[in-house]
Amino acid sequence: MAAISIKNLTIRFGPRVLAVEDFSLDINEGDFVSIVGPSGCGKTTVLNQLTGLLPPQEGSISILGEAPREGNADLAYMLARDCLLPWRTTLTNACYGMQMRGVPRADAEAQARQLLAQVGLAGFEDSYPKALSHGMRQRCALARTFALRSPILLMDEPFGALDAQTKLALEDLLLQLWQAQRRTVIFITHDLAEAVALSDRVIVMSARPGRIVADVPIPLQRPRSIRELQKNHQYHEIYTHVWEQLERGIQLSGDAGQPAR
Amino acid sequence: MNHIKFSWKECAGHALFLAVFLGSWEFACSRGWLDPTFFGRPSAIAHFLYEGFVSKPKLWLDLGYTMLGTLTSFVLGSVLAVLLGLTFVAFPRFERAADPYLTLFNAMPRIALVPLFLLWFGLGLGSKIAVGTSLAFFIVLANTVAGIRGVSGDLLTLTRSLGASPLQLFTQVTLPSAVPVIASGLRLALVYSMLGVIGAELIAAEHGLGQTLAYMQSTFNMNGVMGLLLVLALLGMLLTLAMSRVERALLKWQ
Repeated sequence: MAAISIKNLTIRFGPRVLAVEDFSLDINEGDFVSIVGPSGCGKTTVLNQLTGLLPPQEGSISILGEAPREGNADLAYMLARDCLLPWRTTLTNACYGMQMRGVPRADAEAQARQLLAQVGLAGFEDSYPKALSHGMRQRCALARTFALRSPILLMDEPFGALDAQTKLALEDLLLQLWQAQRRTVIFITHDLAEAVALSDRVIVMSARPGRIVADVPIPLQRPRSIRELQKNHQYHEIYTHVWEQLERGIQLSGDAGQPAR
Repeated sequence: MNHIKFSWKECAGHALFLAVFLGSWEFACSRGWLDPTFFGRPSAIAHFLYEGFVSKPKLWLDLGYTMLGTLTSFVLGSVLAVLLGLTFVAFPRFERAADPYLTLFNAMPRIALVPLFLLWFGLGLGSKIAVGTSLAFFIVLANTVAGIRGVSGDLLTLTRSLGASPLQLFTQVTLPSAVPVIASGLRLALVYSMLGVIGAELIAAEHGLGQTLAYMQSTFNMNGVMGLLLVLALLGMLLTLAMSRVERALLKWQ
Protein backbone atom coordinates (compact mmCIF):
# COMPACT_ATOMS: atom_id res chain seq x y z
CA MET A 1 0.00 0.00 0.00
CA ALA A 2 1.20 3.50 -0.80
CA ALA A 3 1.93 5.72 2.20
CA ILE A 4 0.39 8.65 0.40
CA SER A 5 -2.02 8.46 -2.45
CA ILE A 6 -3.33 11.54 -4.23
CA LYS A 7 -5.89 11.05 -7.00
CA ASN A 8 -7.04 13.70 -9.47
CA LEU A 9 -6.53 16.53 -7.03
CA THR A 10 -7.75 19.85 -8.43
CA ILE A 11 -7.45 22.98 -6.35
CA ARG A 12 -9.23 26.24 -7.06
CA PHE A 13 -8.90 29.55 -5.27
CA GLY A 14 -12.21 31.21 -5.84
CA PRO A 15 -14.11 30.76 -9.09
CA ARG A 16 -11.37 32.05 -11.38
CA VAL A 17 -8.00 30.81 -10.18
CA LEU A 18 -7.10 27.24 -10.98
CA ALA A 19 -4.06 26.52 -8.80
CA VAL A 20 -3.51 22.80 -9.32
CA GLU A 21 -5.07 20.61 -11.96
CA ASP A 22 -5.57 16.85 -12.00
CA PHE A 23 -2.66 16.04 -9.72
CA SER A 24 -2.22 12.30 -9.08
CA LEU A 25 0.67 10.83 -7.13
CA ASP A 26 1.35 7.64 -5.20
CA ILE A 27 4.27 7.61 -2.78
CA ASN A 28 5.61 4.39 -1.34
CA GLU A 29 6.44 4.01 2.29
CA GLY A 30 10.03 5.03 3.03
CA ASP A 31 10.51 6.94 -0.22
CA PHE A 32 12.07 10.36 -0.42
CA VAL A 33 10.12 12.28 -3.04
CA SER A 34 10.79 15.85 -4.10
CA ILE A 35 8.35 18.10 -5.86
CA VAL A 36 9.96 20.86 -7.92
CA GLY A 37 8.46 23.52 -10.06
CA PRO A 38 8.48 27.26 -10.70
CA SER A 39 7.25 29.47 -7.90
CA GLY A 40 3.51 29.79 -7.75
CA CYS A 41 2.93 26.36 -9.29
CA GLY A 42 1.02 25.11 -6.29
CA LYS A 43 3.63 22.83 -4.66
CA THR A 44 3.04 24.24 -1.21
CA THR A 45 -0.70 24.18 -1.74
CA VAL A 46 -0.58 20.45 -2.42
CA LEU A 47 1.42 19.96 0.76
CA ASN A 48 -1.03 22.02 2.78
CA GLN A 49 -3.85 19.86 1.48
CA LEU A 50 -2.16 16.85 3.05
CA THR A 51 -2.00 18.55 6.45
CA GLY A 52 -5.75 19.08 6.46
CA LEU A 53 -5.26 22.76 7.28
CA LEU A 54 -7.10 23.74 4.10
CA PRO A 55 -10.64 22.68 3.22
CA PRO A 56 -10.86 19.55 1.04
CA GLN A 57 -10.93 20.00 -2.73
CA GLU A 58 -11.84 18.01 -5.80
CA GLY A 59 -10.14 14.64 -5.96
CA SER A 60 -9.10 12.31 -3.16
CA ILE A 61 -6.16 12.11 -0.79
CA SER A 62 -5.26 9.19 1.40
CA ILE A 63 -2.53 9.24 4.04
CA LEU A 64 -1.84 5.74 5.35
CA GLY A 65 -5.39 4.91 4.30
CA GLU A 66 -7.01 7.92 5.93
CA ALA A 67 -8.36 11.24 4.71
CA PRO A 68 -6.32 14.35 5.66
CA ARG A 69 -7.19 15.84 9.03
CA GLU A 70 -5.76 18.68 11.06
CA GLY A 71 -3.25 17.54 13.68
CA ASN A 72 -2.66 14.13 12.11
CA ALA A 73 0.13 12.62 14.22
CA ASP A 74 1.33 10.55 11.24
CA LEU A 75 2.65 13.77 9.71
CA ALA A 76 5.45 16.07 10.78
CA TYR A 77 5.53 19.40 9.00
CA MET A 78 8.64 21.54 8.50
CA LEU A 79 8.37 25.02 7.04
CA ALA A 80 10.60 27.25 4.95
CA ARG A 81 11.51 29.63 7.71
CA ASP A 82 12.85 28.04 10.87
CA CYS A 83 9.62 28.72 12.70
CA LEU A 84 11.16 28.45 16.14
CA LEU A 85 9.28 30.06 19.00
CA PRO A 86 11.54 32.98 19.96
CA TRP A 87 10.62 32.72 23.65
CA ARG A 88 11.71 29.11 23.87
CA THR A 89 15.25 27.82 24.19
CA THR A 90 16.78 25.41 21.70
CA LEU A 91 15.87 22.50 23.96
CA THR A 92 12.27 23.52 24.59
CA ASN A 93 11.85 24.36 20.91
CA ALA A 94 13.04 20.89 20.00
CA CYS A 95 10.51 19.54 22.50
CA TYR A 96 7.68 21.69 21.16
CA GLY A 97 6.21 19.23 18.66
CA MET A 98 6.34 16.37 21.13
CA GLN A 99 4.82 18.54 23.85
CA MET A 100 1.90 19.45 21.59
CA ARG A 101 1.39 15.78 20.86
CA GLY A 102 1.34 14.83 24.52
CA VAL A 103 4.70 13.10 24.88
CA PRO A 104 5.64 13.08 28.63
CA ARG A 105 8.07 15.86 29.44
CA ALA A 106 11.00 13.70 30.55
CA ASP A 107 10.78 11.48 27.46
CA ALA A 108 10.50 14.49 25.20
CA GLU A 109 13.54 16.13 26.76
CA ALA A 110 15.67 13.01 26.49
CA GLN A 111 14.67 12.57 22.86
CA ALA A 112 15.29 16.25 22.10
CA ARG A 113 18.73 16.24 23.72
CA GLN A 114 19.76 13.23 21.69
CA LEU A 115 18.58 14.78 18.42
CA LEU A 116 20.14 18.14 19.20
CA ALA A 117 23.44 16.32 19.65
CA GLN A 118 22.90 14.59 16.29
CA VAL A 119 22.27 17.87 14.49
CA GLY A 120 25.35 19.43 16.10
CA LEU A 121 23.65 21.68 18.62
CA ALA A 122 24.99 20.10 21.79
CA GLY A 123 25.93 22.91 24.15
CA PHE A 124 23.30 25.28 22.73
CA GLU A 125 20.35 23.72 24.57
CA ASP A 126 19.71 26.83 26.66
CA SER A 127 20.25 29.45 23.95
CA TYR A 128 17.36 31.45 22.58
CA PRO A 129 16.83 31.55 18.80
CA LYS A 130 18.04 35.16 18.55
CA ALA A 131 21.49 33.94 19.58
CA LEU A 132 21.62 31.30 16.83
CA SER A 133 22.58 31.65 13.16
CA HIS A 134 20.03 30.80 10.46
CA GLY A 135 21.69 27.47 9.85
CA MET A 136 21.62 26.61 13.55
CA ARG A 137 17.98 27.55 13.81
CA GLN A 138 17.12 25.30 10.92
CA ARG A 139 19.13 22.50 12.58
CA CYS A 140 16.96 22.96 15.63
CA ALA A 141 13.85 22.80 13.44
CA LEU A 142 15.19 19.57 11.93
CA ALA A 143 15.62 18.16 15.44
CA ARG A 144 12.07 19.19 16.31
CA THR A 145 10.72 17.52 13.18
CA PHE A 146 12.67 14.27 13.56
CA ALA A 147 11.89 14.12 17.28
CA LEU A 148 8.29 13.47 16.31
CA ARG A 149 7.80 9.80 15.63
CA SER A 150 5.65 10.57 12.58
CA PRO A 151 6.22 8.11 9.72
CA ILE A 152 5.67 10.84 7.12
CA LEU A 153 7.62 14.10 6.91
CA LEU A 154 6.34 17.06 4.89
CA MET A 155 9.11 19.54 4.20
CA ASP A 156 8.29 22.84 2.53
CA GLU A 157 11.54 24.32 1.17
CA PRO A 158 13.22 23.85 4.54
CA PHE A 159 16.58 25.12 3.27
CA GLY A 160 15.27 27.75 0.87
CA ALA A 161 16.43 30.69 2.95
CA LEU A 162 19.98 29.48 3.65
CA ASP A 163 23.24 30.43 1.97
CA ALA A 164 24.85 27.87 -0.32
CA GLN A 165 27.43 26.51 2.14
CA THR A 166 25.03 26.10 5.01
CA LYS A 167 22.50 24.56 2.68
CA LEU A 168 24.90 21.80 1.60
CA ALA A 169 25.76 21.03 5.22
CA LEU A 170 22.10 20.79 6.17
CA GLU A 171 21.21 18.66 3.15
CA ASP A 172 23.88 16.23 4.27
CA LEU A 173 22.51 16.30 7.79
CA LEU A 174 19.00 15.59 6.53
CA LEU A 175 20.31 12.64 4.51
CA GLN A 176 22.09 11.25 7.59
CA LEU A 177 19.00 11.53 9.74
CA TRP A 178 16.78 10.07 7.07
CA GLN A 179 19.12 7.23 6.19
CA ALA A 180 19.29 6.23 9.86
CA GLN A 181 15.52 5.86 10.08
CA ARG A 182 13.77 5.76 6.74
CA ARG A 183 10.57 7.67 6.79
CA THR A 184 8.41 8.77 3.92
CA VAL A 185 9.39 12.30 2.90
CA ILE A 186 7.74 14.80 0.61
CA PHE A 187 10.24 17.55 0.00
CA ILE A 188 9.15 20.74 -1.72
CA THR A 189 11.89 22.79 -3.32
CA HIS A 190 12.58 25.07 -6.25
CA ASP A 191 16.21 23.95 -6.23
CA LEU A 192 16.68 21.16 -8.74
CA ALA A 193 20.17 20.17 -7.59
CA GLU A 194 18.86 19.71 -4.09
CA ALA A 195 15.92 17.63 -5.29
CA VAL A 196 18.10 15.30 -7.36
CA ALA A 197 20.71 14.87 -4.66
CA LEU A 198 18.27 13.96 -1.92
CA SER A 199 15.44 12.07 -3.58
CA ASP A 200 14.39 8.67 -4.85
CA ARG A 201 11.95 10.39 -7.17
CA VAL A 202 11.60 13.91 -8.47
CA ILE A 203 8.17 15.13 -9.48
CA VAL A 204 8.29 18.10 -11.85
CA MET A 205 5.34 20.47 -11.88
CA SER A 206 4.38 23.01 -14.52
CA ALA A 207 3.62 26.64 -13.83
CA ARG A 208 0.06 27.48 -12.84
CA PRO A 209 -2.20 25.63 -13.13
CA GLY A 210 0.21 23.15 -11.56
CA ARG A 211 0.26 19.81 -13.29
CA ILE A 212 2.74 16.97 -13.11
CA VAL A 213 4.87 17.13 -16.25
CA ALA A 214 7.48 14.54 -15.27
CA ASP A 215 8.07 11.87 -12.68
CA VAL A 216 11.77 11.02 -12.75
CA PRO A 217 13.29 8.19 -10.71
CA ILE A 218 16.75 9.01 -9.32
CA PRO A 219 18.74 5.76 -9.43
CA LEU A 220 21.72 7.12 -7.48
CA GLN A 221 23.13 4.72 -4.90
CA ARG A 222 22.37 5.09 -1.20
CA PRO A 223 23.73 6.02 1.24
CA ARG A 224 24.64 9.25 -0.48
CA SER A 225 26.76 12.14 0.53
CA ILE A 226 26.08 15.54 -0.95
CA ARG A 227 29.76 16.37 -1.18
CA GLU A 228 30.63 13.21 -3.11
CA LEU A 229 27.67 13.61 -5.44
CA GLN A 230 29.21 16.83 -6.74
CA LYS A 231 31.93 14.68 -8.39
CA ASN A 232 29.51 11.99 -9.62
CA HIS A 233 28.89 12.00 -13.42
CA GLN A 234 25.61 10.17 -13.16
CA TYR A 235 24.33 12.82 -10.77
CA HIS A 236 25.06 15.56 -13.29
CA GLU A 237 23.46 13.61 -16.14
CA ILE A 238 20.28 13.08 -14.15
CA TYR A 239 20.33 16.71 -13.15
CA THR A 240 20.48 17.79 -16.80
CA HIS A 241 17.69 15.38 -17.69
CA VAL A 242 15.35 16.67 -14.97
CA TRP A 243 16.26 20.22 -15.90
CA GLU A 244 15.09 19.59 -19.48
CA GLN A 245 11.84 18.18 -18.19
CA LEU A 246 11.33 21.22 -16.02
CA GLU A 247 12.02 23.59 -18.91
CA ARG A 248 9.57 21.74 -21.11
CA GLY A 249 6.97 22.01 -18.39
CA ILE A 250 7.50 25.72 -18.18
CA GLN A 251 7.30 26.16 -21.95
CA LEU A 252 4.16 24.02 -22.21
CA SER A 253 2.33 26.27 -19.80
CA GLY A 254 3.78 29.35 -21.52
CA ASP A 255 5.17 30.93 -18.37
CA ALA A 256 8.37 32.91 -18.16
CA GLY A 257 9.04 31.97 -14.52
CA GLN A 258 12.56 30.65 -13.98
CA PRO A 259 13.49 28.14 -11.31
CA ALA A 260 16.76 28.65 -9.46
CA ARG A 261 20.04 26.94 -10.40
CA MET B 1 16.97 54.06 28.08
CA ASN B 2 17.15 52.29 31.42
CA HIS B 3 20.01 50.03 30.50
CA ILE B 4 22.63 52.67 31.24
CA LYS B 5 25.06 51.84 34.00
CA PHE B 6 27.18 54.70 35.23
CA SER B 7 30.83 54.27 35.99
CA TRP B 8 32.13 56.05 39.11
CA LYS B 9 33.70 58.68 36.88
CA GLU B 10 30.36 59.52 35.35
CA CYS B 11 28.76 59.51 38.80
CA ALA B 12 31.35 62.01 39.96
CA GLY B 13 30.60 64.10 36.88
CA HIS B 14 26.88 64.15 37.65
CA ALA B 15 27.55 64.97 41.32
CA LEU B 16 29.77 67.84 40.26
CA PHE B 17 27.20 69.15 37.81
CA LEU B 18 24.41 69.02 40.41
CA ALA B 19 26.60 70.66 43.03
CA VAL B 20 27.46 73.51 40.66
CA PHE B 21 23.83 73.87 39.55
CA LEU B 22 22.35 73.89 43.07
CA GLY B 23 25.24 75.95 44.41
CA SER B 24 24.82 78.74 41.87
CA TRP B 25 21.03 78.66 42.41
CA GLU B 26 21.56 79.05 46.16
CA PHE B 27 24.22 81.70 45.64
CA ALA B 28 22.02 83.69 43.24
CA CYS B 29 19.22 83.64 45.82
CA SER B 30 21.46 84.78 48.65
CA ARG B 31 22.78 87.68 46.55
CA GLY B 32 19.23 88.65 45.58
CA TRP B 33 19.73 87.97 41.83
CA LEU B 34 16.95 85.40 41.92
CA ASP B 35 13.76 86.03 43.88
CA PRO B 36 13.12 82.97 46.11
CA THR B 37 9.42 83.88 46.15
CA PHE B 38 9.27 82.88 42.47
CA PHE B 39 12.00 80.26 42.20
CA GLY B 40 12.41 78.76 45.66
CA ARG B 41 15.79 78.08 47.14
CA PRO B 42 17.64 74.74 47.26
CA SER B 43 18.33 74.86 50.99
CA ALA B 44 14.72 75.75 51.75
CA ILE B 45 13.47 73.03 49.35
CA ALA B 46 15.64 70.49 51.14
CA HIS B 47 14.28 71.71 54.43
CA PHE B 48 10.71 71.40 53.16
CA LEU B 49 11.31 67.81 52.03
CA TYR B 50 13.09 66.95 55.28
CA GLU B 51 10.19 68.31 57.28
CA GLY B 52 7.54 66.71 55.11
CA PHE B 53 9.06 63.25 55.03
CA VAL B 54 11.17 63.05 58.20
CA SER B 55 10.58 65.45 61.05
CA LYS B 56 6.82 66.07 60.62
CA PRO B 57 6.09 63.29 58.13
CA LYS B 58 2.72 64.27 56.68
CA LEU B 59 3.77 63.97 53.01
CA TRP B 60 3.96 60.17 53.23
CA LEU B 61 0.17 60.03 53.51
CA ASP B 62 -0.21 62.11 50.34
CA LEU B 63 2.39 60.03 48.58
CA GLY B 64 0.49 56.90 49.63
CA TYR B 65 -2.79 58.24 48.23
CA THR B 66 -1.18 59.17 44.93
CA MET B 67 0.55 55.80 44.64
CA LEU B 68 -2.60 53.91 45.57
CA GLY B 69 -4.57 55.83 42.95
CA THR B 70 -1.85 55.28 40.35
CA LEU B 71 -1.49 51.55 40.90
CA THR B 72 -5.23 50.95 41.10
CA SER B 73 -5.78 52.88 37.86
CA PHE B 74 -2.97 51.00 36.21
CA VAL B 75 -4.19 47.55 37.20
CA LEU B 76 -7.83 48.29 36.52
CA GLY B 77 -7.18 49.97 33.17
CA SER B 78 -4.75 47.30 32.00
CA VAL B 79 -6.90 44.33 32.97
CA LEU B 80 -9.99 45.82 31.34
CA ALA B 81 -8.00 46.73 28.23
CA VAL B 82 -6.43 43.29 27.83
CA LEU B 83 -9.80 41.62 28.29
CA LEU B 84 -11.47 43.91 25.76
CA GLY B 85 -8.51 43.52 23.39
CA LEU B 86 -8.88 39.74 23.48
CA THR B 87 -12.61 40.08 22.87
CA PHE B 88 -11.92 42.33 19.90
CA VAL B 89 -9.57 39.82 18.35
CA ALA B 90 -12.06 37.01 18.90
CA PHE B 91 -14.98 39.05 17.51
CA PRO B 92 -13.70 41.45 14.82
CA ARG B 93 -17.22 42.63 14.00
CA PHE B 94 -17.68 43.78 17.57
CA GLU B 95 -14.43 45.74 17.24
CA ARG B 96 -15.68 47.40 14.05
CA ALA B 97 -18.87 48.42 15.81
CA ALA B 98 -17.15 49.70 18.96
CA ASP B 99 -14.26 51.46 17.26
CA PRO B 100 -15.87 54.86 16.50
CA TYR B 101 -17.11 55.24 20.08
CA LEU B 102 -13.75 54.34 21.55
CA THR B 103 -11.98 56.76 19.21
CA LEU B 104 -14.42 59.47 20.18
CA PHE B 105 -13.96 58.89 23.90
CA ASN B 106 -10.19 58.64 23.59
CA ALA B 107 -10.14 61.96 21.73
CA MET B 108 -11.74 63.76 24.69
CA PRO B 109 -9.23 65.67 26.79
CA ARG B 110 -9.36 63.59 29.96
CA ILE B 111 -8.50 66.49 32.23
CA ALA B 112 -11.66 68.25 31.02
CA LEU B 113 -13.67 65.32 32.29
CA VAL B 114 -12.35 65.71 35.83
CA PRO B 115 -15.19 67.99 37.01
CA LEU B 116 -17.68 65.36 35.82
CA PHE B 117 -15.77 62.54 37.47
CA LEU B 118 -15.62 64.56 40.70
CA LEU B 119 -19.37 64.85 40.59
CA TRP B 120 -19.88 61.17 39.89
CA PHE B 121 -17.16 59.56 41.98
CA GLY B 122 -16.57 62.13 44.71
CA LEU B 123 -13.60 64.11 45.94
CA GLY B 124 -11.75 60.98 47.11
CA LEU B 125 -9.80 58.30 45.29
CA GLY B 126 -12.71 57.31 43.03
CA SER B 127 -12.47 60.28 40.70
CA LYS B 128 -8.65 59.98 40.53
CA ILE B 129 -8.89 56.33 39.61
CA ALA B 130 -11.48 57.14 36.95
CA VAL B 131 -9.08 59.55 35.22
CA GLY B 132 -6.03 57.32 35.55
CA THR B 133 -7.91 54.25 34.36
CA SER B 134 -9.36 56.01 31.33
CA LEU B 135 -5.83 56.98 30.25
CA ALA B 136 -4.16 53.61 30.90
CA PHE B 137 -7.01 51.71 29.28
CA PHE B 138 -6.65 53.07 25.75
CA ILE B 139 -2.89 52.67 25.62
CA VAL B 140 -3.02 49.04 26.69
CA LEU B 141 -6.02 48.31 24.46
CA ALA B 142 -4.24 49.50 21.33
CA ASN B 143 -1.11 47.52 22.18
CA THR B 144 -3.00 44.35 23.03
CA VAL B 145 -4.81 44.34 19.72
CA ALA B 146 -1.63 45.15 17.78
CA GLY B 147 0.34 42.49 19.66
CA ILE B 148 -2.17 39.74 19.00
CA ARG B 149 -2.60 40.73 15.36
CA GLY B 150 1.16 40.61 14.89
CA VAL B 151 1.49 36.92 15.65
CA SER B 152 3.40 35.01 12.95
CA GLY B 153 1.18 33.01 10.63
CA ASP B 154 3.90 30.39 10.21
CA LEU B 155 3.97 29.66 13.93
CA LEU B 156 0.20 29.25 13.93
CA THR B 157 0.33 26.93 10.90
CA LEU B 158 3.04 24.81 12.46
CA THR B 159 1.24 24.58 15.78
CA ARG B 160 -2.08 23.70 14.16
CA SER B 161 -0.37 20.99 12.14
CA LEU B 162 0.80 19.55 15.46
CA GLY B 163 -2.82 19.16 16.52
CA ALA B 164 -2.97 21.99 19.06
CA SER B 165 -6.35 23.00 20.47
CA PRO B 166 -7.50 26.62 20.12
CA LEU B 167 -6.62 27.14 23.78
CA GLN B 168 -3.11 25.77 23.22
CA LEU B 169 -2.72 27.96 20.14
CA PHE B 170 -3.55 30.92 22.31
CA THR B 171 -1.40 30.10 25.32
CA GLN B 172 1.57 28.69 23.39
CA VAL B 173 1.76 31.03 20.42
CA THR B 174 -0.55 34.04 20.37
CA LEU B 175 -0.15 35.22 23.94
CA PRO B 176 3.63 34.90 24.29
CA SER B 177 4.22 36.61 20.96
CA ALA B 178 1.94 39.49 22.00
CA VAL B 179 3.60 39.94 25.40
CA PRO B 180 6.43 42.27 24.29
CA VAL B 181 4.00 44.64 22.58
CA ILE B 182 1.58 44.56 25.51
CA ALA B 183 4.48 45.09 27.93
CA SER B 184 5.64 48.27 26.22
CA GLY B 185 2.04 49.49 26.43
CA LEU B 186 1.98 48.70 30.13
CA ARG B 187 5.13 50.68 30.75
CA LEU B 188 3.58 53.73 29.13
CA ALA B 189 0.24 53.12 30.85
CA LEU B 190 1.87 53.18 34.30
CA VAL B 191 3.27 56.66 33.74
CA TYR B 192 -0.01 57.87 32.26
CA SER B 193 -1.93 56.49 35.23
CA MET B 194 0.21 58.65 37.47
CA LEU B 195 -0.25 61.69 35.25
CA GLY B 196 -4.01 61.18 35.30
CA VAL B 197 -4.18 60.80 39.05
CA ILE B 198 -2.00 63.85 39.73
CA GLY B 199 -3.91 65.90 37.17
CA ALA B 200 -7.17 65.10 38.89
CA GLU B 201 -5.68 65.78 42.33
CA LEU B 202 -4.54 69.20 41.15
CA ILE B 203 -8.13 70.14 40.38
CA ALA B 204 -9.71 68.88 43.57
CA ALA B 205 -8.92 66.20 46.13
CA GLU B 206 -8.83 65.36 49.82
CA HIS B 207 -5.32 63.92 49.80
CA GLY B 208 -2.50 63.33 47.38
CA LEU B 209 0.69 64.97 46.16
CA GLY B 210 -1.23 66.78 43.41
CA GLN B 211 -3.60 68.26 45.92
CA THR B 212 -0.70 69.36 48.15
CA LEU B 213 1.02 70.84 45.11
CA ALA B 214 -2.07 72.87 44.24
CA TYR B 215 -2.24 74.08 47.83
CA MET B 216 1.43 75.14 47.82
CA GLN B 217 0.91 76.97 44.56
CA SER B 218 -2.10 78.91 45.82
CA THR B 219 -0.25 79.86 49.02
CA PHE B 220 2.87 80.88 47.07
CA ASN B 221 5.05 78.33 48.81
CA MET B 222 7.60 77.98 45.98
CA ASN B 223 9.90 75.73 48.00
CA GLY B 224 7.01 73.34 48.50
CA VAL B 225 6.12 73.45 44.79
CA MET B 226 9.71 72.77 43.70
CA GLY B 227 10.16 70.03 46.27
CA LEU B 228 6.95 68.27 45.24
CA LEU B 229 7.80 68.56 41.53
CA LEU B 230 11.09 66.85 42.29
CA VAL B 231 9.29 64.10 44.21
CA LEU B 232 6.83 63.57 41.36
CA ALA B 233 9.59 63.40 38.77
CA LEU B 234 11.52 60.88 40.86
CA LEU B 235 8.37 58.85 41.36
CA GLY B 236 7.67 58.68 37.64
CA MET B 237 11.26 57.68 36.96
CA LEU B 238 11.14 54.99 39.64
CA LEU B 239 7.93 53.50 38.26
CA THR B 240 9.34 53.33 34.73
CA LEU B 241 12.53 51.79 36.05
CA ALA B 242 10.68 49.16 38.04
CA MET B 243 8.52 48.33 35.03
CA SER B 244 11.56 47.93 32.77
CA ARG B 245 13.08 45.55 35.31
CA VAL B 246 9.96 43.39 35.27
CA GLU B 247 9.85 43.55 31.49
CA ARG B 248 13.44 42.45 31.10
CA ALA B 249 13.04 39.57 33.54
CA LEU B 250 9.92 38.46 31.68
CA LEU B 251 11.36 38.87 28.18
CA LYS B 252 14.91 37.66 28.47
CA TRP B 253 14.50 35.91 25.12
CA GLN B 254 14.35 39.24 23.30
